[in-house]
Amino acid sequence: MNPESENFDSLRQLLALKRHEIPPPGYFDRLPRDIMARIKAGDTGDELGADFSWFRRLVSAFDVKPIFAGAFGTVVCALLTIGVMTSERTPAFAAATATPVGPTAGGLASSTTEVEIASSSSNSVPAGGDLFSSMPSLQATPVVSREFYPGGN
Amino acid sequence: MREATLTMTEPISGKSGDAVNRPAETQADPIAVEEVELVQRARKGDMGAYDQLVQRYQERVYATVYHMTSNHEDANDLTQEAFIKGYQALKSFKGGSSFYTWVYRIAVNKTINFLKQRKNRSQMSLNDLDFNAEHDPDLVALISDKNPRREAGLTELQEKLNEGMQKLSEPHRLVVTLHDVQGLSHEEIAKIMGCNIGTVRSRLFYARQQLQGFLADYLK
Repeated sequence: MNPESENFDSLRQLLALKRHEIPPPGYFDRLPRDIMARIKAGDTGDELGADFSWFRRLVSAFDVKPIFAGAFGTVVCALLTIGVMTSERTPAFAAATATPVGPTAGGLASSTTEVEIASSSSNSVPAGGDLFSSMPSLQATPVVSREFYPGGN
Repeated sequence: MREATLTMTEPISGKSGDAVNRPAETQADPIAVEEVELVQRARKGDMGAYDQLVQRYQERVYATVYHMTSNHEDANDLTQEAFIKGYQALKSFKGGSSFYTWVYRIAVNKTINFLKQRKNRSQMSLNDLDFNAEHDPDLVALISDKNPRREAGLTELQEKLNEGMQKLSEPHRLVVTLHDVQGLSHEEIAKIMGCNIGTVRSRLFYARQQLQGFLADYLK
């Protein structure tokens, strides 16, 4: 494939127009001064077009591959769900795991304490039950105020 | 995410060694010798030498970045940062290529990364056309045709052309810019882009096809 052999003459003529696009007068007199001033000021030249940070890479990946964004969202949702389920099971789990362990060297007293703690906690929070069943409840009665409906009768 | 494919410090020719240590290859070209001397002095901290290098290549680097971005302000910032980065990284310059090609690659890398970041933002801030544009034989021939669809003025043509350029992918735009606008050879472009000549040719062909399709109403 030879691009020169194709008939792109008109296009190349048109592209010649771009050679006539020139920056404002005096621009190339100022540019070296600006560059040298920034170098002397210790500028590193990393503001634009620099390599991305990990966060930008992540965001850019979402931009390019929507499936990656979907997968990432799924993982986040799964982690959130697992986190919620784990936190709900934590009291029962603590009660279940607080069974007395066998007498080990110097461990008798501590295992008794563990049982006491577990039994007291199981009294206050029923294992597998409603966490709020033993707590005083507030009775909320919906109140419809006419103030919210100034036009209604 | 696709990273810019060019690496800044990699010797382009693949040869090891420093051009500074290979005077026999550079003595034939006084400009190249002078460039090597300027680079040597700049590496030792001579700001004046680096200033001369900037003055020597600023227009070409600016033009490439400008044609890639179609925005003067972006081109200004990126050109400045390319030369600043060049100065900072001068110690890693092995001399496997000319300083010109090396700084060009820095500018191209920065520009491609920048364009990826501003992917969804396309605003043009085009430079004015110089006085000679109206007398350019190519453009005179193009506009003098009495086809009513091409009664557009040069400014409209300029906008349409830049719009078409922005529709190309970065590698295709870069090839068109370097070859058709700046007149670089396929070999030079291959060195700058870090690919082989066949890739340059195929990208150029595809880019021209795309542009020709987009600008069909303005072409003969």
